[in-house]
Amino acid sequence: MMKVLSADHAVAWGVRLAKAEVIPAFPITPQTLIIELLSEFIFDGDMDAEFIPADSEHSAMSIAVGASAGGVRTFTATSSQGLALMHEMLYASPQNRLPVVMANVNRSLGAAAGIWLEHNDSMAARDSGWMQCYVEDNQEALDMTLQAYKVAEDPRVMMPLMICLDGFVLSHTVDGVDVPEQAKVDDFLPRFRPLYSLDPADPKVINPIVPPDYAMEMRYQLDRIMESSRQAIKEVDSAFAKRFGRGYGGLFEAYRMDDAEYALLSLGTATSTARAAVDELREEGKRAGLIKLRFMRPFPHDELLAACKDLKALGVFDRSLSFNRYGPVFTEVRNSLHELSLPITDHVGGLGGRDLTLGHMREIFANIERSAKGEKVRTCSWYGLRGEQE
Amino acid sequence: MFEVRFHGRGGQGAVMAAQTFAEAAVLEGHHAQAFPYFGAERRGAPVRAFARVDDKRITIKSQIYEPDMLVIMDESLLDIDPVADGLKPTGSVVMNTTKAPQDVDIGVAVRCATVDAIPIALETIKAPIVNTAILGAVAKICDLVTIESIKTSINDRFGEKLGEQAARMNSLAAEMAYARTVVGICKGERTIVRPKVWLPTWKELPQGTALGEDTLSGVTVGPGGSLGNYTGTWRTITPKYDQEKCVRCLRCWFCCPEGCIKRLEDDHVKWDYRYCKGCGICANICPADAIHMVKGAMEP
Repeated sequence: MMKVLSADHAVAWGVRLAKAEVIPAFPITPQTLIIELLSEFIFDGDMDAEFIPADSEHSAMSIAVGASAGGVRTFTATSSQGLALMHEMLYASPQNRLPVVMANVNRSLGAAAGIWLEHNDSMAARDSGWMQCYVEDNQEALDMTLQAYKVAEDPRVMMPLMICLDGFVLSHTVDGVDVPEQAKVDDFLPRFRPLYSLDPADPKVINPIVPPDYAMEMRYQLDRIMESSRQAIKEVDSAFAKRFGRGYGGLFEAYRMDDAEYALLSLGTATSTARAAVDELREEGKRAGLIKLRFMRPFPHDELLAACKDLKALGVFDRSLSFNRYGPVFTEVRNSLHELSLPITDHVGGLGGRDLTLGHMREIFANIERSAKGEKVRTCSWYGLRGEQE
Repeated sequence: MFEVRFHGRGGQGAVMAAQTFAEAAVLEGHHAQAFPYFGAERRGAPVRAFARVDDKRITIKSQIYEPDMLVIMDESLLDIDPVADGLKPTGSVVMNTTKAPQDVDIGVAVRCATVDAIPIALETIKAPIVNTAILGAVAKICDLVTIESIKTSINDRFGEKLGEQAARMNSLAAEMAYARTVVGICKGERTIVRPKVWLPTWKELPQGTALGEDTLSGVTVGPGGSLGNYTGTWRTITPKYDQEKCVRCLRCWFCCPEGCIKRLEDDHVKWDYRYCKGCGICANICPADAIHMVKGAMEP
């Protein structure tokens, strides 16, 4: 059934179709549309779930962890300062193997605070043990919500997953979305079967203090599971494509990459604008390509290596920064491709909600093209910045 | 490099002893470090502290497995902890005991200094905290420090923390112990038994962190599990229960921090002494005077 939905509402529809049973949340712009619609679904009786208005995001995540430990499918959503406030509790679910799903609507983390788009909120949570994916459009926001539960609750995985969507640029943009039938979703996404659950009839302790004799083995388990979850993500995306007719390439999508000489790797809505730039360049006869990174964790290192081996230059788009050492996506990409003798450059734009235009994208591709031709270009360039870059 | 391992129980001041020893060594012109290893233990739990002394800057930051000297502040630890594990055959031991060196058996026959430190501590600082007294015995057997440097160090460290009077009394404890210490050779007959610890590989380790009430894959302890952690070994005083006086209010059952008080069918209670660490909360909370703490770890 086609509906015209904002991406926030598309996520809410995904959660409804996934039949999440406990939804603790605290409102924060630009995420609030998600939990508002979910609370309406529940109030109207369209969803059989417990909506828990938490007194903070820290509490919201704590409740989500507890609910998941109770063996129920759990959802929450946040943004920016809210994600920062729940940072401590983010670490509870991965090692306890509780597959909580959360939407983070990307918004810049202050100071220099604003309500607008930047990735510095979710990138700071990269090492928490959560899987992390970035979606490009409203349809993917809904579809990824369904995929998220399927991946997170896979018996091989059992890890939490954060769906990141760009604040306002995506969250508040309305677009046509195909909302799948409940029966088809039920078939795709069976009931959650936890690894273990809190049960008064079978008392147990969850999350005790772990002495040095065991902690390292537990960390290694987590590292291996994150590494192997790449397989589950690919399989789930294929299964989803078979069932619903829409696939997203698993860990990343290669767009016009077959004979590409140079390419940009981007994530989130920047990818959409980059597609338009690639299409224009192709019409002009240039062999430009695009890699849409979907997952930051697990990171598709081997897969990217294979996809980039014939390129002459690669650019990476970053919408956040690790000050004095480039953007986090660039660091990850260059780290994964270190065996290739490929010039890789970082392209930073759209910070703090600064609009990222097709013109910026054309500039980015022009720079990558120059580096493909062997010209020396700066390692990291900013777009839309006033003043000369040092 | 000279390495020392201190064995005590939580509350006896093993950590302060190690730090004070290290400071004394520094006062003597050496380089020294001291550090504790803490678990989540409390008063009465076996604790370890470490000290290293050398003539040059010490850069090793790890625990000590083959010490040159052991300082044993509580004799009962020998029965529950592999105290002498790794002690060099050329090493030495300092022990708080009523026994003479030749009657002490730590499992390795080495030079041994003994002192009955508890009466000294009771006389000087009015509490059975033996860390400063034992340092007097250390000064007797260890060439790296003198009783003077130990006393100066005690004055520095304890004076700052507890005041001048306390520093003087602790210093006196060390001096009295120094005078009463007997040096000889101890016995090496005891078998040093390392406790069986479940050390699974990362593949064997159960997924997640849930610990069932009974067992996981045939083992009694999960990562960080408390089932195999017999806190009863920490006990130095033991609750004695007078069922006649008990009014079955169950406050002890509710308040026991180890959950080792079992509620019986008729609301009387009994203790699981494997886990009772002798904290005394049950005796303190009892409104009917039905629980008394008695000296010793024996089950009444």
